[in-house]
Amino acid sequence: MGRRKKIVQECERLMDKPENIRNIAIAAHVDHGKTTLTDNLLAGAGMISQDTAGEQLAMDTEEDEQERGITIDAANVSMTHEYEGDNHLINLIDTPGHVDFGGDVTRAMRAVDGALVVVDAVEGAMPQTETVLRQALREGVKPTLFINKVDRLISELQEGPQEMQDRLLSVIHDVNELIRGMTEEMDDITEDWTVGVEDGTVGFGSALYKWGVSMPSMQRTGMDFGDIIDLERADKRQELHDRTPLSDVVLDMVCEHFPNPLDAQPRRIPRIWRGDAESDLAGTMRLVDEDGELVMMVTDIGIDPHAGEIAAGRVFSGTIEKGQELYVSGTARQNRVQSVGIYMGGEREEVERVPAGNIAAVTGLKDAIAGSTVSSVEMTPFESIEHISEPVITKSVEARNMDDLPKLIETLQQVAKEDPTIQVEINEETGEHLISGQGELHLEVIGQRIERNQGIPINTGEPIVVYREAPQEASGEVEGVSPNRHNKFYITVETLSDDIVDEIQLGNVSMDMPELERREALQEAGMDKDTSQNVEHIHGTNILIDDTKGIQHLNETMELVVEGLEEALDDGPLAAEPVQGALIRLHDAKLHEDTIHRGPAQVIPAVREAVHRSLIDGEIRLLEPIQDVRIDVPSEHMGAASGEIQGRRGRVDDMYQEGDLMVIEGIAPVEEMIGFSSDIRSATEGRASWNTENAGFRVLADNLQPDLIEEIRQRKGMKLELPPSVDYI
Amino acid sequence: MLTFVGLGLYDERSITVEGRDALRAADHAFAEFYTSRLVGTSVDALESHHGIDIEIRDRAGVERNPDPILDAAEAGDAVFLTAGDAMISTTHVDLRLRAVDRGIDTRVVHGVTAQSAASGLTGLQNYRFGKAVTLPFPRAHGGDGVPNSVVDSVAANRERGLHTLVYLDIKVDDGRGPDAGERFMTADVAADLLAAEWPDRLAVAVARAGSPDPLVVADRLAALADRDFGDPLHLLVIPGEIHHVEADALRTLAEAPASLLPER
Ligand SMILES: Nc1nc2c(ncn2[C@@H]2O[C@H](COP(=O)(O)OP(=O)(O)O)[C@@H](O)[C@H]2O)c(=O)[nH]1
Ligand SMILES: [Mg+2]
Repeated sequence: MGRRKKIVQECERLMDKPENIRNIAIAAHVDHGKTTLTDNLLAGAGMISQDTAGEQLAMDTEEDEQERGITIDAANVSMTHEYEGDNHLINLIDTPGHVDFGGDVTRAMRAVDGALVVVDAVEGAMPQTETVLRQALREGVKPTLFINKVDRLISELQEGPQEMQDRLLSVIHDVNELIRGMTEEMDDITEDWTVGVEDGTVGFGSALYKWGVSMPSMQRTGMDFGDIIDLERADKRQELHDRTPLSDVVLDMVCEHFPNPLDAQPRRIPRIWRGDAESDLAGTMRLVDEDGELVMMVTDIGIDPHAGEIAAGRVFSGTIEKGQELYVSGTARQNRVQSVGIYMGGEREEVERVPAGNIAAVTGLKDAIAGSTVSSVEMTPFESIEHISEPVITKSVEARNMDDLPKLIETLQQVAKEDPTIQVEINEETGEHLISGQGELHLEVIGQRIERNQGIPINTGEPIVVYREAPQEASGEVEGVSPNRHNKFYITVETLSDDIVDEIQLGNVSMDMPELERREALQEAGMDKDTSQNVEHIHGTNILIDDTKGIQHLNETMELVVEGLEEALDDGPLAAEPVQGALIRLHDAKLHEDTIHRGPAQVIPAVREAVHRSLIDGEIRLLEPIQDVRIDVPSEHMGAASGEIQGRRGRVDDMYQEGDLMVIEGIAPVEEMIGFSSDIRSATEGRASWNTENAGFRVLADNLQPDLIEEIRQRKGMKLELPPSVDYI
Repeated sequence: MLTFVGLGLYDERSITVEGRDALRAADHAFAEFYTSRLVGTSVDALESHHGIDIEIRDRAGVERNPDPILDAAEAGDAVFLTAGDAMISTTHVDLRLRAVDRGIDTRVVHGVTAQSAASGLTGLQNYRFGKAVTLPFPRAHGGDGVPNSVVDSVAANRERGLHTLVYLDIKVDDGRGPDAGERFMTADVAADLLAAEWPDRLAVAVARAGSPDPLVVADRLAALADRDFGDPLHLLVIPGEIHHVEADALRTLAEAPASLLPER
């Protein structure tokens, strides 16, 4: 029997012993060494050869990842590790570090109970360290810390034991500040989740040279910092690795300090599931009962060239097996499980069954998307995954050959399914489709994937910023009349509070949830009781309130009202950009007796126009996306670097020294940030490192509104003059 | 002057003599065929038969932008043509009111409409009809199957012993006129939709009313669903309580099976 086969068998044996399972993620700022570390762990567990670990980058399965050297999709892998004489099954999910791919990180966190946070010893905690940590803690996932690239402190920076210790302690301090700040308000986390050397929840080492230490390992091997510095300085890295191998140190830490599913699920289920806590299902999920009804949360959809679409996720209750007919949240049909498996590196191994507490890879769940709840009985789905990810950049995509058109459409639809932070708009007429995502890089990567993996040559357009439109005050009542004048709708618009918008974005308020819960959530966010009881529809971050009473035929017509509303909101009145944060109230309606005379051709335009006119009466304005920007730069380039922010309609909020670098923090509009990377490089002779993060939308200054509106209208081929009622800007 | 002229049910000769005279004397003729149409003729045939150019208006050109029609009516004599009657079922009273608003004189020349055929061909008495309904193509009304309001109206009529005239949907893709991409709901399709509610109820299918070869068939809805009634247009009547003369008429004129009719 091959070694691989043996490992699979061992995994299968351990799957039934939840106390021996650890589901973990590795999360880090980009380039801090997550992928290199993961390879080491795999090699240590005998999954890949020791010699190639570090070069092989087994987790970076997509070609473009290996080329760029950054991890884009969270991939899954299982391995075994012996700790204190007992074999453990470790299910590991690699997560992307670049902020453009933040949606993947949060989804990965849903599936795991522990997060190994990797921080570069030289750079220290960076903005994305904070982001991934927040994503982990929000999901109730416990952190430990690995400080990587310690070899660089020794060989490059020539630090002695004291300097090194100070630096490591300051990294730990910074990370703990973050953890403390974030867990303070979480009342279900009662233990102290900060990390410490003495506790053994911090490890140090070099993923590149495959050595590592922690307090327990130093006690076991008798090696201290002095020994390590000596060996590293003497270039005896192989010896270092042999004497204190990284994978043992990290995997021991994982087994010792991360909760197993039996410990984690009772705490995590209430945090991620809002169903009836007294139900049988709640019980079997808390107890990780493999004989219970099946409940799985899909965190990732991947494509296997042979098996097709693969849904990966955490099994919280029951056992998943081939042939089961399962419900998929958000769809009416059931799907039949075609095969189940576990991940080994980039490959999937089919197994007979995967019980509760594990990560499973399943084929046949055709209707599942990343974020779906899959179950053997109908149930309240898991909370939507908390990730605010509104697309801010759009690009057009066109197949270079007409013959590829159907395949391109299929691929785009697939892309949207795999990555819910991507939005795809298919236009079969022009063949010019639009993809929207989190940033320039995000879209670039998707484009390359289509070209390379699917072999579809494409042309992409210039990146275009996505704007929003939002009313600024309450409107008066507007009457919308249907073209045949037999139907009338009376509508007003108000602004929604930021609290309510946030709750919708976080998925805490949606039409999928039971009405009673929705009402409560809205009232908690500040909506009055009557209004919360009349919610008819939610579209984007807008809410339709039906305040009418007993109007005959309205229920039959409501679907068309909603259609008209959605059209009006998808293409706002100023520049056909999406509307956000509007509360639309339907006060009254007059309808024709016969269905034909209140059909789509009548109701949709009547409602669309009424909504637009009330938005205009509510002083609607254009909003633009903005980004938080952080630049780390040597002090002699500080002026040039801060000029790059200020010159982009940006604002510098803070400048301070950190180590031998200056840190500049500020904000700037996304539009102005296009092309920033090459500009900052030339302005600072390539000495700056920088980071941006989407920070929502901001009302554009009034003096900039008319020109931008005209520019967008022109680009979209709309007529240039605005409705005459837009005279307030 | 704006004269509304009903073209009647079938072809260029279904118009009344009064309507024909008004049409031929007009300075400008407009027509809409998005609500119904004359299956027995074409716009070209209409134009050459009456010796006048007819401008076809689509829905937007009547409902949203009627100014060209009103301008012509202000400047001279304009007629506005529709299949059937211009003020029944599809009511163009809105256009008339707009004209009056602008101080334009208006006149209505009636046409023969489906309502006449529903009584005239089936023998069901017009006194005994309740509210009429239109059966839309599924999805056209924003739902599946038969809209509740249709079911409710038929049931309410029945409860009072009244017949229901069921107009059948026309899907006109571009509203350009009789020959451009339309779909007509046929009586068998309509019967099939309604049979989901009342499979065994008696109904009367009327095909090609106003043409030289109309067809009238009475049977159970489920049975009508399996028949083919030939070319459009079709309509359906769901009888309520049946008077003895009505029963005789259905038996004789519509081949109604005896088992579905009252005994006396
Ligand atoms: N000197 C040194 N370089 C490292 C170490 N770990 C990773 N690297 C390098 O840092 C870069 C980024 O590593 P990678 O694992 O791709 O980072 P990720 O973006 O977090 O996945 C690569 O060039 C690695 O070779 C380390 O411990 N020491
Ligand atoms: Mg990586």
